[in-house]
Amino acid sequence: MNAVADQFANRGVGSYFIYTHEAHPGENYPHLTSMAQKFKHAYALRDVLGVKRPIVVDALDGACHRTYGSMPNMTWIFNQSGIPVYKSDWSDASSVVNALSYFLDVRDRRKRGDRLAPFNVHRLDYRNQDRQAFYHGLERNGPKAVREFKDAFG
Amino acid sequence: MATNDLLSLYNYDAFVPEKFTRWMNFEASPAIGNPAPDFPLWHLDERETRLSQIWAENNLTVVEFGSFT
Repeated sequence: MNAVADQFANRGVGSYFIYTHEAHPGENYPHLTSMAQKFKHAYALRDVLGVKRPIVVDALDGACHRTYGSMPNMTWIFNQSGIPVYKSDWSDASSVVNALSYFLDVRDRRKRGDRLAPFNVHRLDYRNQDRQAFYHGLERNGPKAVREFKDAFG
Repeated sequence: MATNDLLSLYNYDAFVPEKFTRWMNFEASPAIGNPAPDFPLWHLDERETRLSQIWAENNLTVVEFGSFT
């Protein structure tokens, strides 16, 4: 997703990361109990995981995250008026690139004088699954996170 | 729900289905095409901002929600 941000940065597209809560709390990154801890974990997103986009932190009770569906790693695209034009219950760079390319083309078509009316689309997108890399990430959180995920999903 | 209950339930201490599935509610999330709800957020230096300030900065804004873990 960092690369997507870079790819579209000079085309009027901003990118942010909202830090929510710990989906897989472990010994190294336990569940949140304070805003001070929440900021500390958010810094780790930047310094350990390498998130290069601006990171903002939700309230401790997850008010924003909960209202937007509470999925552990979801992506939304908003227009400048605050209208969501894309929402995905999982973050996938290819899906976001596809959506942004489409919306930028809409902008270009309007500039050329096309009269366009919005309509709704519901579509299944597909993402790569890399269970080995996922477990590697869980190990960073601590053995508890690995054990609990295996218990839940095998 | 009492504030302390909400804080501890949302910030669950173990990834077990009875603790995390209650929050996964994407079907009830704001609709595409309608004005989105606004919320306060905080930069890493603890300056307060709002989601509305973020989406107002550019023609389009990609917002990824996630955690460290």
